[in-house]
Amino acid sequence: MSWPVAIQELIEEFQDIDEQFERLEVLMEFSEEVEELPVESWNNHNLVKGCQSIAHIEIEMVEGKVWMKAAADAKMVQGLQGILSIAVNGSTPEEVLELTPEFAEEAGILNSLTPSRSNGFRTMFDMVQRNVREAM
Amino acid sequence: MKQDFPIFSRLVNGKPLVYLDNAATTQKPSCVIDAMSEFYSVSNANVHRAVHTLAGEATEGYEKCRKLLKQRYNAEYAVITSGTTEAINLVAHAWGKHNLSSGDVIVLTEMEHHSDIVPWQMLAEKSAIEIRYVPVTDGKLDMDAFEVALEGAKLVCVVHTSNVLGVRNPVEDIITLSKAVGAKVLLDAAQAVPHELIDFRELGADFMAFSAHKMCGPTGIGALLISNDAFTEMEPFMGGGDMIDTVTLEGSTYQTNEHKFEAGTPRIAEGVGWAAALEWISNVDLESHHTRLLSIASDVAEQLRNRGMAVYSSLGPGDAAVVSFNHPTIHPEDFARLLDAQGVAVRTGHHCAQPLMDKLGVSGTIRASFYLYNDASDAEVFLSGVDRVLEAMA
Repeated sequence: MSWPVAIQELIEEFQDIDEQFERLEVLMEFSEEVEELPVESWNNHNLVKGCQSIAHIEIEMVEGKVWMKAAADAKMVQGLQGILSIAVNGSTPEEVLELTPEFAEEAGILNSLTPSRSNGFRTMFDMVQRNVREAM
Repeated sequence: MKQDFPIFSRLVNGKPLVYLDNAATTQKPSCVIDAMSEFYSVSNANVHRAVHTLAGEATEGYEKCRKLLKQRYNAEYAVITSGTTEAINLVAHAWGKHNLSSGDVIVLTEMEHHSDIVPWQMLAEKSAIEIRYVPVTDGKLDMDAFEVALEGAKLVCVVHTSNVLGVRNPVEDIITLSKAVGAKVLLDAAQAVPHELIDFRELGADFMAFSAHKMCGPTGIGALLISNDAFTEMEPFMGGGDMIDTVTLEGSTYQTNEHKFEAGTPRIAEGVGWAAALEWISNVDLESHHTRLLSIASDVAEQLRNRGMAVYSSLGPGDAAVVSFNHPTIHPEDFARLLDAQGVAVRTGHHCAQPLMDKLGVSGTIRASFYLYNDASDAEVFLSGVDRVLEAMA
């Protein structure tokens, strides 16, 4: 499957890593990609339900492009949010809706995480698409 | 001992498995796996009714489990359930509904697993029963408060050994004090039977619930031991096959033994597997292993404290080898995932004991729990894994 360039680069970066510990370290580094949603903006509407740790995601449309703000208490969830940010930020709503969460699987991120966290990623991915659809 | 457990030959994330989530479930020795596999390969049939050879073998294999349970724990009655949770729910339905009414008091503690809280709350909602919770202070039950709470109590339900902290409660005193006010006593012994051999009749409790899978047996099966007194006060809860004596269209009569609480086809292969586990564990010196594991856990706790961790387990004599801890800044899930990446399995979360978490003032902990097959080298791998996590997250 062909992916947008930013996602393809991300997949390759993860595929180059052999050791699981290092893969998780790299995942955590992606937390820096997140534009932080300040605590005062956390509410039930932007709470990610079904995630074991606390996570919030909000989608904004700026000049027709999707921008995501997010926050989480666990660093690895922040990393997943960073990856999501790379995947969606600056894209048109149509491009975001065309995405499927399989890119994370291809990168070996989902396989390397337990089901609850994978579901956490899928839950966040679904939430982003739902919010984008609502904003269109 | 690890050679008895085939799972230890596998790698996890490329590393040898160090399994420290034993308070959640334990690994299974070959004899248990083989017994279950052989049952399905050779003797599979339904129990109790048919006259053919396979049914006889299946019945014998399943009932052996009950026989071993009664022998090992010196119990008058052993009802086989799906596990500790069903065993406690069985007491709520089969004894509670018929012996508790509006205004009666049940004493619980803040240390209980959800499975020893929710069934009583459900019963209390329907019958206006009062529930009193004995507080936990510094990780231990407040026994002065317990005595106060006992006033007028009809039932006392206490966790023998905490799944979160590993602390062993003074169950002997709890039973003596409860009996003095005429209360029945239920022990949640899920975390106790893996670590100590309990003489149920001598201890004097009325009900004792536990699960096979926490003592190297299969999942999906457990037991409720019942005293003679309490057994006579119980009524059947689930109706169906196997629990009846006669059925007519006008009504039914029930079996008089444990079968009246075991409606439907039981967990036959699991019973066979548990019997194998009970035989296996009868050759294990639990007391000396307990001393050994408690010493390993105490060393681990000290090392974690030295590394700036908050440790919630006191690891006193008799406590289970459970180390519940947190790092001041690293999220428990990040911590556990980075340990998993090194082949080390620990548990994180509220451990199905949210009231106790509230009391500790945390939303969850990281829990390393040790069992028979763990040794000092597991503790070393765990601690060097912890060091790598600390380095990575610095």
